[in-house]
Amino acid sequence: MAADSAADELITAVIVDDHVAITAGVRSWCSEAVPPIDLIDAGDRLADVWTGPGAAADVVIFDLELVPRRPDFGELRRLVDYGRRVVVYSQHIDDATAIKCVDLGALAYLTKREGPEHLVPAIRAAARGEPYTAPSLSGALVADDDPGRPRLSQRETEVLRAWFVSSSKELVAAKLNITAKTVDTYIARVRVKYANVGRAARSKSELVGRALDDGLITLAELNQKVTSL
Amino acid sequence: MSDVNEEVTRAQLRHGLRIATLLVAAATVFGLGLSNLLRYLDVHESPLTQLAAFAALGAVLAGEAALLVRGRSWGRLRGPAIAVVLAASALSYVTLPDGRTSTGVDWIFGAANWAGLVVLLDRPLRSAVLFLLAHDLTALLHLVLLDEPSRGDLARFATGSVSVIGFPLCVAVVATVLRGLSAAAAASREEIERVRVAEAVAAESHRRRRQRFAELSVTTVPLLEGLADGSLRPENSVVQRRCAIEAARMRRLFAEADTVADPLLHELRHCIDVADRKGVVVELDARGQWPTPPVAVRRDLTEAVLIVLATAASRARVTVVGGADLVSVSVVADCGEVDVPSPATPGVRVEALNNDDTVWMEAQWQPIPQRTS
Repeated sequence: MAADSAADELITAVIVDDHVAITAGVRSWCSEAVPPIDLIDAGDRLADVWTGPGAAADVVIFDLELVPRRPDFGELRRLVDYGRRVVVYSQHIDDATAIKCVDLGALAYLTKREGPEHLVPAIRAAARGEPYTAPSLSGALVADDDPGRPRLSQRETEVLRAWFVSSSKELVAAKLNITAKTVDTYIARVRVKYANVGRAARSKSELVGRALDDGLITLAELNQKVTSL
Repeated sequence: MSDVNEEVTRAQLRHGLRIATLLVAAATVFGLGLSNLLRYLDVHESPLTQLAAFAALGAVLAGEAALLVRGRSWGRLRGPAIAVVLAASALSYVTLPDGRTSTGVDWIFGAANWAGLVVLLDRPLRSAVLFLLAHDLTALLHLVLLDEPSRGDLARFATGSVSVIGFPLCVAVVATVLRGLSAAAAASREEIERVRVAEAVAAESHRRRRQRFAELSVTTVPLLEGLADGSLRPENSVVQRRCAIEAARMRRLFAEADTVADPLLHELRHCIDVADRKGVVVELDARGQWPTPPVAVRRDLTEAVLIVLATAASRARVTVVGGADLVSVSVVADCGEVDVPSPATPGVRVEALNNDDTVWMEAQWQPIPQRTS
């Protein structure tokens, strides 16, 4: 956890989730986080994300299924288009849903099996406008065989796979003989490549722009087309 | 193969009998019947009625010939055909001159019986018997009601009836016996097959049980013996670990016989269940699709998980990542040093990584691309 100056500022997040137990759990994780994250509870009222204190929150923690078995991609799209930074927190574990959320412009996709060790970093990353890739999403990206998927290097695939499998960046680093920072770099590069394909969204283009500015990835690498294998 | 041959032979036999019966009937109706009819045509009061009755019988025989050529049976037409034959018989007798029953003039007496028989040859014997009796009764009614029968007339009728009923009846009996034989043969063949299958199932489950016992005898039996004779102490943590591993192996062994869509995940779940009961929190996550590995490979793949889980203190993560060319089963858990199992099958690789208290063990299998034959 690299200390970031932006992370030291108080982050506010608003959670939309119809399960009070989830909200209570997330609230407790946020207050225990160092520094703590200020959490606003919108319950199952989407309006509270758009008006009142929720409208000013840095991050939206969004339950994809307020209506059971009907993932609300439309609302996610509206939030992202408005420029909100969204962390999708879903009970869905299927790969297609995860990848669709990323394609729509969500900065993080977490399953509810993933606890504070992933949710808190995901909220902090989203507050900075950066993506966070939890192991479950990493697994979805590895298993993605969509013809429109971006072309990943062998090392990037190895890192994604190891991160999904071990759920520990130290282990990935030890296994692949690289530093934990390099692990983050590879994962970030994958997300930039994904942000560069599919539907246009502000959060995605920001991500790509920043990655190019930082030299995380070059334009040539980014524009490599899908493998024709 | 021999069963099929038998069935073919039997079908040919029935077919032959049908042809023979039709030939006999045709010879009787068109030979004897027609010659008698033509010879005594002027004796009849209404020759046209007699000719119509003859035409009806001829039509039934022609129908049988057509069905025979097309390899079909009478089916729903059987009833109407019999009605036609009996109607022809009745028609002929109604217009038969008095005192001519079962003489040369009574041509239909020895003709309609055969025409009816060909229609009823593949029916139960009683249908043929009833038909023959009905036909004979028509002749008897004509004799008794319309004539004043003398003793001689009755004797002639009785002698005639013997051949009119007797010969077709013999053919009908032969057909029935033939049918009975093939039904009995089919039943006994089914019975033999059932017994053979039951024997094969019993032999296979016996073989499986012996094989399972042989597999357990290497590792489980010494452990049980040690516990029984007191040389292994249950409070010893090494013994507890061995027990946990053996318990998981047995669960896996039992799960191997289940028919499930994904045997690898199914067996992993059983291995995990043993750890779950110990209070270890285990996550199982799988991505991708993979070909079903053979049992020996699945054992090698799950063995690492089984050993690590038996030692895990509180939590573990088990993952399967698969593709057409690589299946990888990983376990990450908070356990101390563990022995890395050596895979028994070629193509399986096991790697272990220790980092502080965490062990990451990964078993990978590369399916050998199979040539499609």
